[in-house]
Amino acid sequence: MLVAPISEAVTKGVSYCKQQIVEPRAANSAGLWLRLLLVVVVFFVGALGATAQQAAPQFDDLAARAAAARDSGNLPGAIELYGQATQLKPDWAEGWFYLGLLQYSSNNFPQAIDALNHVLELKPGTPPALALRGLSEFETGAYDDSLRDLDEGVKKGAANEPRNEQIIRYHLAQMLARAGRFQDAMLQYQFFASKHIDDPDLLLGLGLAGMRNTTLPKDFPAEGREVVEAAGSAGYLFLSGDSQGADGLFKKLFERYPTVPNLHFFYGVLLFMHGPDLAIDQFKSEVEIAPSNAAARAILAYALMFAGRFAEAQPEAEAALARVPDMEMAQIALGRSLAEAGDVKRATEVLNEVLQRDADNMEAHMALAAMYSRAGMREEAYRERMVCLGMQK
Amino acid sequence: MSAWFALGCKSSLGRLAASAAVAALVGLLWGFPLGSPEVAATTKAASAPVTCATCHVGVATSYAHAPMRHALEPVDNDPVLQAHPKLMVEQGGYSYTVETKDGKSTYTVSDGKDLLTVPIHWMFGQHSQTWVLEKDGSLYEGLVSYFPRENGLGTTPGDGRIEPKNLTEAMGRKITPWETLQCFNCHATAASDGAKLTLDKLRPGLDCDRCHMGSQQHMADAARDNFSTLPKSLKKMDAEDTANFCGQCHRTWDTVIRNNWKGTVDVRFQPYRLENSKCFVGNDARISCLACHNPHQPVNHDDAFYDAKCQACHGEAKTTAVAAATAIKSCPVAKDKCVSCHMPKVELPGGHQMFTDHMIRVVKAGEAYPD
Repeated sequence: MLVAPISEAVTKGVSYCKQQIVEPRAANSAGLWLRLLLVVVVFFVGALGATAQQAAPQFDDLAARAAAARDSGNLPGAIELYGQATQLKPDWAEGWFYLGLLQYSSNNFPQAIDALNHVLELKPGTPPALALRGLSEFETGAYDDSLRDLDEGVKKGAANEPRNEQIIRYHLAQMLARAGRFQDAMLQYQFFASKHIDDPDLLLGLGLAGMRNTTLPKDFPAEGREVVEAAGSAGYLFLSGDSQGADGLFKKLFERYPTVPNLHFFYGVLLFMHGPDLAIDQFKSEVEIAPSNAAARAILAYALMFAGRFAEAQPEAEAALARVPDMEMAQIALGRSLAEAGDVKRATEVLNEVLQRDADNMEAHMALAAMYSRAGMREEAYRERMVCLGMQK
Repeated sequence: MSAWFALGCKSSLGRLAASAAVAALVGLLWGFPLGSPEVAATTKAASAPVTCATCHVGVATSYAHAPMRHALEPVDNDPVLQAHPKLMVEQGGYSYTVETKDGKSTYTVSDGKDLLTVPIHWMFGQHSQTWVLEKDGSLYEGLVSYFPRENGLGTTPGDGRIEPKNLTEAMGRKITPWETLQCFNCHATAASDGAKLTLDKLRPGLDCDRCHMGSQQHMADAARDNFSTLPKSLKKMDAEDTANFCGQCHRTWDTVIRNNWKGTVDVRFQPYRLENSKCFVGNDARISCLACHNPHQPVNHDDAFYDAKCQACHGEAKTTAVAAATAIKSCPVAKDKCVSCHMPKVELPGGHQMFTDHMIRVVKAGEAYPD
């Protein structure tokens, strides 16, 4: 099990399931958590050093004793002392962080969140605090909050420290898939594949993301694991660079599970990263298996658009939009197809609908540029191109 | 890939050159004399195997000297290596030797103790040249390439940061299947079947059917006086379509934008640069790639050759109301060699050569490369 509370490992002092992610090849990594904690602390202290202001002797004494308790592995004692110290000096961000870290390590997740709330009030956006609060929220089931914090933490660099990267990315990947952001989740899983970090729970998580399932790995029923894990294995092989091996595994899966939805979708998405042309056949197969799958039709239309096969893209996009009228990917494919076909009026309507929701949608601006260019509207085409170039900077 | 083109291949996550799109262009533009009585008579009279040149003598003759035809040189007839039977360089603690004897070329790397020699099967580029090498079933881009400006070997563009840890890494950079597909599909003909490389069927350089999809069928049918299966005409494409067509290999505007390629290295993506020009518009043939370049002929390096192309629009400026209305300006500085100022040459970083920047513009002294 990959998602057991991390504090078990600390309190029992034994190798912990998460170590499989952190150090998959290590046979015995007792003390891993202390090392992880040290890294987080070192990183954090650097960020919060400025808060260590001059303090009263009583506070200094408490802080020193808290640090000593922490260093000796006396978690309850350290929690008590950090609690007292932060009451005495409520603007001590470093103390709140240690308190949050120790509470998290002790399975006291609501208390950890509370302590980390103080850190983030004092030092908004501090990456390790965001990430640790996100991990704590994961454990309490506050998944939306967890996604927000982990996502923001990673964007701000919380995963830049190699020791922390694995645990943060794994939980972020789960949260992204749960939120339906499957491709973002797969990008997180790609990190593990590229480093050849292997684990059954990782494969299940990747399989779920690839097959567009929002269930968390820990909640996924055992009877359905086989095909999802097998898909995850194939995807993992692909993401680790063995595309030929992955192709073989996917083909076996297609033979064995010819009607299981989203297997072709999964493989198509992986291929799409290397060439939309390569993915088109997979998406077509998916549509054949599940004609009502609007997402499959939308991504088929999108891939056809990328390949410049606009006439083929248009009906697929329209079919997707008939089922889900505001599906952005289908709208872009339809808008671009109409633009390329010279239907300026309809294309403008569709693309503007996208831009009303997302004024910085690059593909919509690219479609407008192509449309104006084909229509001989030189200045408008140039303007749209410059909009796109400006977005890149 | 040629040495400079290698840089584009390796970083590319963009779309694979779509053979379907490449295939449609030339017949009408460059005038296929299909079905004329003279041609038919020639075809019937000839006993030699039918080729495109059987009927399209003129274009086939000129195309034999065109750069695309030599995007990949034949293994037994590579002018670069024939002219340089022994090339050597020392760099990064390794010594490299590219040797050609009896029509066979080898690539050797040594660390002073051991050496690794592999045959060269694929020579990318007509002038600058990069070799794709095979070892233990994997393909590698040679870490050194030939550059005519230096008349010798140097680091392959884009590989400057590689610090080899062993002979194999010193030999070359292992290339992924996707990258390999892109490289071969833009430098050779019949190199792939979908996502599968078909190097056994590969023909070096871009043959007629690489762009003119269906020309093989047309050739077979034409030999039986059946002219109903002509390849799709590429002549009718507008400037937008042409840029996308050529951009399959030279990179489209969309591809560069989607991949967020930035910096001077994108100067080699001519369709992208051209479409960044204020004067580019998709429905005007005067700004099409083909307005200036005949893909069946060698590139013309005389700046004056392109004056008429510029004047096709800017020559109207003083005389037509349309020009005034559309803000087409005439140049106040000079009336000839327009490209020498408005399409400056740019040094490709690590490429050992200059590229013409196809972003047509008024260049201001000291300005940075407009990205």
